[in-house]
Amino acid sequence: MVVARSLTIPNPLVLLPKKDLSRLVQHLMQRYTVVGPVAKGGEHAFSAITDPAQLTLDYVSSLLPPKKVLHQPFEVLFSFHQEQGVLEEREPARGQVLFGVHPCDVHAIEILDKAYGHEYPDPYYVNRRQNTLIVAANCTKVGDNCFCQSMGTGPDLQKGYDLLLTDLGSQILVEIGSPAGEDLLQQVPLQPAPRVMLVEKEKRLDEARRKFKKRLNTSGLKELLEDNFRHPIWDELRQDCLACGSCTMVCPTCFCYNVVDKLDLNLKSGQRQREWDSCMLLEYAQVAMGHNFRKDRDARIKQRIYHKLAYYEPQFGTLGCVGCGRCIGTCVKHIDITDIMARLGGE
Amino acid sequence: MINPFKPARALIRGVQKETYDTTTYTLSFEDARVREEFAFQPGQFNMITLFGIGEAPVSISSDPDEGPTFQHTVRHVGNVTKALARLKVGDAVGVRGAYGTGWPMELLRGRNVLIVAGGIGLAPLRPVITQILRQRRDFGRVELLYGARTPADMLYTPQFPRWQEEIKLYQAVDVVPDGYSWEQRVGVVTTLFGEMESQPADTIVLTCGPEIMMKFVVKDLLTRGFLSDQIYVSLERRMSCGVKKCGKCQIGPKFVCRDGPVFAYAELMGLSEGVLGGVAG
Repeated sequence: MVVARSLTIPNPLVLLPKKDLSRLVQHLMQRYTVVGPVAKGGEHAFSAITDPAQLTLDYVSSLLPPKKVLHQPFEVLFSFHQEQGVLEEREPARGQVLFGVHPCDVHAIEILDKAYGHEYPDPYYVNRRQNTLIVAANCTKVGDNCFCQSMGTGPDLQKGYDLLLTDLGSQILVEIGSPAGEDLLQQVPLQPAPRVMLVEKEKRLDEARRKFKKRLNTSGLKELLEDNFRHPIWDELRQDCLACGSCTMVCPTCFCYNVVDKLDLNLKSGQRQREWDSCMLLEYAQVAMGHNFRKDRDARIKQRIYHKLAYYEPQFGTLGCVGCGRCIGTCVKHIDITDIMARLGGE
Repeated sequence: MINPFKPARALIRGVQKETYDTTTYTLSFEDARVREEFAFQPGQFNMITLFGIGEAPVSISSDPDEGPTFQHTVRHVGNVTKALARLKVGDAVGVRGAYGTGWPMELLRGRNVLIVAGGIGLAPLRPVITQILRQRRDFGRVELLYGARTPADMLYTPQFPRWQEEIKLYQAVDVVPDGYSWEQRVGVVTTLFGEMESQPADTIVLTCGPEIMMKFVVKDLLTRGFLSDQIYVSLERRMSCGVKKCGKCQIGPKFVCRDGPVFAYAELMGLSEGVLGGVAG
């Protein structure tokens, strides 16, 4: 049965038989670039798909967060010519659907919206964001490093989505979060969902909630960090951490970047590019004459931890960590932000 | 949507060598509308682009009432500033700005002013001095303490006689190389505190220079009874955007590019990460 347009919020619940998921994706692909989790080398990576069969909702986390399609690892800001200045600006972004985004990553995108949207809005980010729809997926699986439950960002999602999927076994519960989301469902065979399905959803989420192995106590974080700026743990981490920057490269809320000019072979024209930068890297806080405000590794480790857990709040009104656990999983020295905070908290 | 990252072309109208490694460039925007709309406060900075080399934040060193041209005094020590040294009158650079907080000009009006500058740190303070000279009677006692490494490193010396007609100038150098004569003080800039007349009462302090210098300036002034909200500092940090996006200039929750570069010292005191070497907690 085809659900008519009259299906409107606030009773936006429908059921999609799992076997029809590919029909929904196929339908989206006609109008949008669809970017979703695709199996890759034993892990999952958000990729633009060419076939609905490439997508899977059965994943725990992705190598890089879906942030990468909004705040790109490399990006050309504009072309220039030394005699003429800025030559061209970028074309408007094509519409895209981020598919199967987990609650932690949706929360992270909302944080990026604040970082890039406030005051002088970043036109590159904002343009892509305005042309992006989010089909989120609640988490019924929990990874070893996940602690979204502690951060209030999962395993389920309340807002920030156009559509929200919950895997109920043979069926997928679809919640509609926006008129644009409702529009995505046109011409897809759906059944209205009985309210009892919400009970089934809660049951599955409760199962997930019991599986968390990691936690982070968020009460009084700012004070705890302020009081422990000279705690011995920072010296231990200074010796342990390789300052490779991996933790920041996989972080869904990190927004820092560096800008470089690339000259063409004619040495006249070129492109101004930006690329992800990291507060963990030595050059990040270096100024002219070689002076470096965070020469020591412990200063850089503290910058990462303090920024996430103490400074985002006054800057953007939210914590800067969504508990996705990627920084823990990627660290070759197994440095774990939840362990650090537990130690500072005297646990 | 306005693209804040897009520099506009500005032409070099004048090149004035200040010292062996420092030059003042007079610029004006090529586009008439950009030229008319451009305005700045003393203490603000522009992002200067040399296409193909890169972009760097540089404070504005000219008086805001001397438009439509503006000046940057540049020490040729980084990629962009070294490349700038090869340019001449008529050449173009990219400019966007003005960014950041300026010096608290309204607060200065009707009060005494103590300016403490070190080396190139005098550049962002020059517009404050020239603004004071324009309306000298609006301000109380004004003193400038200026320190540099050697006599050859002192900026704007030809303008000193004019300044000294209106304000008291004290000078110090760290070392006097052979062949230089120097009748002023030898020592760091804080050694001039013993000579100055400035007292804490009804005085605002503005300081800019190397961070290590500002650290000792603030420390010394606090022991002399100046309060942390009377002292304004201008900080240097790495910046790739100037508009609170690239993240690199952050100190605690502050973005130096936007919340600064001029801060009342009181704003910096509570930050966990020591600024100015964590002078006084």
